[in-house]
Amino acid sequence: MVIGLEVHAQLKTSSKLFSSSPNQFGSEPNENVNFIDSGMPGMLPVLNYGCIEKAIKTGFALDFTINKYSVFERKNYFYPDLPQGYQISQFEFPILTEGFINIDADERQKKIRIERAHLEQDAGKSIHDIDPKYSFIDLNRVGTPLLEIVSYPDLSSADEVVNYMSSLRQILMYIDVCDGNMQEGSLRADVNLSVRKPGEDLGTRCEIKNLNSFKFIRQAIEYEFQRQIEILENGGTIEQNTMLFDTSSGETRAMRSKEFSHDYRYFPDPDLLPVNITQEQIDKIKPTLEELPHEKLERYINEFKIEKNISKIIISEKDNTKVFEKMISETDVSPKVIASWLVGDIFAYVKENNFEVLDLLDRTKLIMDLLKLVSEDVISNKAGKEILPKVLSGEGNPNELVKEMGLEQVSDTSELEKIIDEALVGEDENIAKFQGGSDRVLGYFVGKCLKASKGKGNPKLINKILIEKLQK
Amino acid sequence: MSDIDIKRISYLAKLKLPLEKETFYANSLKDIIKWVDNLKEIDTSDVKPLHNVTESTESIRADEIKKDNSVDDVLNNAPERANNFFKVPKVVE
Repeated sequence: MVIGLEVHAQLKTSSKLFSSSPNQFGSEPNENVNFIDSGMPGMLPVLNYGCIEKAIKTGFALDFTINKYSVFERKNYFYPDLPQGYQISQFEFPILTEGFINIDADERQKKIRIERAHLEQDAGKSIHDIDPKYSFIDLNRVGTPLLEIVSYPDLSSADEVVNYMSSLRQILMYIDVCDGNMQEGSLRADVNLSVRKPGEDLGTRCEIKNLNSFKFIRQAIEYEFQRQIEILENGGTIEQNTMLFDTSSGETRAMRSKEFSHDYRYFPDPDLLPVNITQEQIDKIKPTLEELPHEKLERYINEFKIEKNISKIIISEKDNTKVFEKMISETDVSPKVIASWLVGDIFAYVKENNFEVLDLLDRTKLIMDLLKLVSEDVISNKAGKEILPKVLSGEGNPNELVKEMGLEQVSDTSELEKIIDEALVGEDENIAKFQGGSDRVLGYFVGKCLKASKGKGNPKLINKILIEKLQK
Repeated sequence: MSDIDIKRISYLAKLKLPLEKETFYANSLKDIIKWVDNLKEIDTSDVKPLHNVTESTESIRADEIKKDNSVDDVLNNAPERANNFFKVPKVVE
């Protein structure tokens, strides 16, 4: 199967693409609508420079050619949630051309080429299910800035599409261009899918519109793939069509066929002049580009010596890296130790208790105090894990909790020696085994001593003293 | 000059033409296009396409929010309203 993706990313700006209305999700209906958005005659659109900046940042992050000259055109069609009667988009001269992303594909990296990315307006929302005869229109989303990112048909499986989409989402979130919230529609994909036998020319494609979750993308691809294969194997031909994905049945179906095919009659918008970006503007934006996910991954592995799989978990969400980087800035405990606590017990706690990762930000100081106690052997690793949930839920600070819970580790050598001496009484046979070269007996002795100390003995010290005594 | 598909054009423009007027409008449009086609006599092979006659650059604004009207101002122009929604005849794709 051959797949190309068109991804619509809502830009994280304060105001809309061509009007000063708030670009905000979840407001009361028609709260964020002015006369430009509602398509009143005579209103003139004025371009928001914030959108140009976000587009240029994306250009750097995805290795695009940033075009200094781009043109807004009108894409004409009628729909109630598009009051202008046309969408302002870029057609012949988009702001970005020829970029790429490297994605994971079967343990290897695969380069997915991106043909173009252009700025355009989002449409409003129609609600059809309140009244049998009427549609209700909310124009809040009208004019929200979108960057439409169009890949080449370089993708060849549902896995690759999901990897591409999640890499794209991750990058756009890292560079603060898009909030990546797919549930709210901040990031949506149109999937163009065709099938062919190896070596043959491209087949006829169908476009599945407006998929807003990874799950739906996967389901829609799998269903549409089977549908096309079945048609071809029964001797039929694929009709080029625009499909909708029914999220309840998991099936794709053709949109009600139109009397005439779409004819958008693009032409340069006479209300808007061509956009000229200067080299100075581009140069000014470049240093504001945040560290990209793959750069962070390399730094975590090389600079902090964190295992690759743990690094990958941390960088998978930008919020994780914010918490992690705050933690390492507050302590001298090694980043590697912090990382393993973070992706282990700390994330497990966050998940179980429906916390947001960012909720950890105001607890990092306390968590670091706890990890310091562990790394300095004041308490055992096991005791640390016992105290952690209490620290995370805000029940107290680690130093007090250690005392309250009586978990302080015994590191007093004379006390430990006493325990060890007692543990060795009557163990002549095992002592002989150790001296005969059996290491396994050592573990037995350490366990016995720990038990005798009620779990509070410092295992490293016990180990050290034991060996000294046994070798005598 | 290509022929005028008046049915398609009226469909795209969401205009309902009475059957007896179709020929009239098709001919009028043909005349207009014929007149504009006079421009084809000029050799423009060396001329770069122009996207706007002023040849100046788009004016831009900073990314700032300004609210200069209320919901009611906008909905005053609605054919019908229901609460804070525009209410229109049902259109389902």
